[in-house]
Amino acid sequence: MIKREKLTLALMLAALFLAGMAFAQTDPGVQSASRGTGVTIINPSDDPNGFTAFFNDGLNRFQEVETVSGSANVGLGPRFNSNQCSSCHAQPAVGGTGAAVNPQFLFTSNGVAPGNTMPSFITPNGPTREARFPFGFNSNGTVNTNVIIGGVEDLFTVTGRSDAGTCNSATALPQPSFALAVEENNVIFRIPTPTFGAGLIENLDDSTLLKNQAANLKNNFGITGTFNHNGNDSTIARFGWKAQNKSLHLFSGEAYNVEMGITNEVFQNERPLPGEDGNGGTGDTGLIASCLNLAGVGYPEDTSNPNSTPNAAVLDDVSAFANFMRFLAPPPPGGVVLNGQQVSASAISAGSALFSSIGCATCHNPTPGTTQQSNFVPALSNAQVNAFSDIEIHTMGNTLADNVSQGGAGGDQFRTAPLWGLGQRIFLLHDGRTTNLITAIEDHASHGSEANTVIENFKSLSSTQQQEVLDFLRSL
Amino acid sequence: MTRNMNRFVRLSLVLAWFASLLAAGQNASKNSLDFPSNITGQLTKVPEGVVLVKGARPSASDSVTPVPEGGNVTDNVFTNKYFGMTYSLPPDWRQKYEGPPPSDSGRYVLAQITPADTFKGPARGNILITAQDTFFSPLPTADAGELINFEKDNLQADYKVELPPTQMKVADRSFTFFAYWSPVAELHWYVLATDMRCHALQIVLSSRDTKLLENLTLDLNRMKLPPEAGVAAGVGGDAVPACIQDYARDENIIAKVNPVFTEHRFNPVPVRIIIDKEGKIKHIHLVSAFPDQAKAITDALRQWKFRRYLQDGQPAEVETGIMFGQVSQSPGHPAEKAVTQ
Repeated sequence: MIKREKLTLALMLAALFLAGMAFAQTDPGVQSASRGTGVTIINPSDDPNGFTAFFNDGLNRFQEVETVSGSANVGLGPRFNSNQCSSCHAQPAVGGTGAAVNPQFLFTSNGVAPGNTMPSFITPNGPTREARFPFGFNSNGTVNTNVIIGGVEDLFTVTGRSDAGTCNSATALPQPSFALAVEENNVIFRIPTPTFGAGLIENLDDSTLLKNQAANLKNNFGITGTFNHNGNDSTIARFGWKAQNKSLHLFSGEAYNVEMGITNEVFQNERPLPGEDGNGGTGDTGLIASCLNLAGVGYPEDTSNPNSTPNAAVLDDVSAFANFMRFLAPPPPGGVVLNGQQVSASAISAGSALFSSIGCATCHNPTPGTTQQSNFVPALSNAQVNAFSDIEIHTMGNTLADNVSQGGAGGDQFRTAPLWGLGQRIFLLHDGRTTNLITAIEDHASHGSEANTVIENFKSLSSTQQQEVLDFLRSL
Repeated sequence: MTRNMNRFVRLSLVLAWFASLLAAGQNASKNSLDFPSNITGQLTKVPEGVVLVKGARPSASDSVTPVPEGGNVTDNVFTNKYFGMTYSLPPDWRQKYEGPPPSDSGRYVLAQITPADTFKGPARGNILITAQDTFFSPLPTADAGELINFEKDNLQADYKVELPPTQMKVADRSFTFFAYWSPVAELHWYVLATDMRCHALQIVLSSRDTKLLENLTLDLNRMKLPPEAGVAAGVGGDAVPACIQDYARDENIIAKVNPVFTEHRFNPVPVRIIIDKEGKIKHIHLVSAFPDQAKAITDALRQWKFRRYLQDGQPAEVETGIMFGQVSQSPGHPAEKAVTQ
């Protein structure tokens, strides 16, 4: 009798479990069908100043492989994360975010960084990453949380490369202590931000963003964002995971120097690691002399090219990169396939309405505004910006916090990530910790997060409604 | 629609009946910190889930004077000494996550209360308790009633009004009540707002289950709140200072030293001060500031001296606000207003 009751109970539980599975929501995942992402926003027939040529020139340079010395594209290193912009900004097209296969994982075997040890957090199919140490280390290897660092620790050095010249000693130019940093939980990661539509975000007027901020304060979700500001002119900064960069020019110049080690007209000096500037507790100061001016061309390694033709070629690389990103069209939305079935347009539409109703759109503002008149191209003028971001920084709680401060953003504050193009992103959140949209949503809730009430609203939806929200997000 | 109206008429009647009852008093003990600030020095590992590198945060010149963000939930009782508020949570509800720090526009998330895992009901819900400092609000609202009307007048297209702003008594105190819902999400919001110490205190209840919302609204009568009028309500006296908008204007200032900032920052820094009966600042509350800003402002304000504030001919303490730093939005409320609740 008891056995029969147990069996009945087990069958009932199994039935409930299966029923739950039938209604459980699923991230439709990365949408593989081409949506035409990666083209220019410029209408060639309405390009009075000829900027299409500058876009194409920037696109080419974005894909150039840089070397340390001895080629047409020199200046790489002495430290770097990659040797090509498009190796990191690749998904789903040039200018995007990290690809499914991480090119960094091959660098120790394909000659890009032969004298290096692959950090444990760089894996063949994991996210393309940069690493930062939030805090300094004491000389005995313990973490000192009184020493706040947070700068990028480049993964690789030029050691072992045939073009590295006098800078070829792993002792003289060691990799940062990644194994120790992992062991002591003193490392955080960032993945590449996609740059599609960046020219539209750049051309949003500050006053438009300020009006949005004021209008949003009436929300009943407990959300109150603020802005990160450029330290020079105090205007609203808007690029990077913490909105730490004011312009695409600055964004390009910083990345060229920090991610590839190429000095340029914006950042003219080789960059010692944070631990080499005397603040890291190691006592080291600066880069060794044998690792300076490896390209042999002097500084900055990237300059404008006055004698070149056509006119687009006169620009320095940083300006060319900025133009490429500026003129990249926003990623078009598209259909969604879930478990081999096309999701209906009505479900996506319902998801859009739910997304707004439960409060997601308070920060992930579908349309933060219309651009001001552009002096570049008509396509950037008076254009609706469907970025799904308010460009504000928000306090996101201890689950997402990375203990890195940039400008006015603290260790738990992040810019509202623009969601356009989300349907074709593989790795999610600032550090690429998940590929699952549901996990990414849930991680918005934690102690100290502005999103807690909104996430609770999401949980209060029916399974069908939650699925519609997920479907909608993958349509972006 | 008629059914909804009937529900609200019924709810209003019950609320009115409950309003005559005294809320049960609740005691609370000191809560532990979820965001410890004393983890410094040499560690073997960086602790997981602890925010050590903070952006602009609140701070105060002393740890004794209550501040709005100082509330907590202990033993299932929400207590906020600054607002004199005590609320015993309904059974099977708890605060899972603390809210964010106050914003640079003076908005506080005082508590976020959600169903526990043991909760049994057809739908989940939220109890969100917030406060907007009316000294610093960028919205064109001077008090709770105006704030609710502003919300109603600017309700986004996703929502429909269920009950326009209505005055009612909750826990023996006047509240403005407003209800709206999302037909798509089938979520309902009940918003209750009242004025306390120059803040618009809001309690936002939300759920798909309107019966649950009605019960939660009725349950709010168990809150213990300061009396509507009298010293504890913020009109001045020994217990709580009078709060006066823009009291720190030139004609009231006898001595003033500007803060010297060591770093160029661009964030607004709202500051609340309490001025004693002699015109000296006795308490400084930096609602949102970086540590270097907090120090510079505190060092400067300690040298300020005000005219004595007289209430009914007698010197009285005053609480007022000063905005330092970059003000990106102009306050929409009147330049000066003595709020007497």
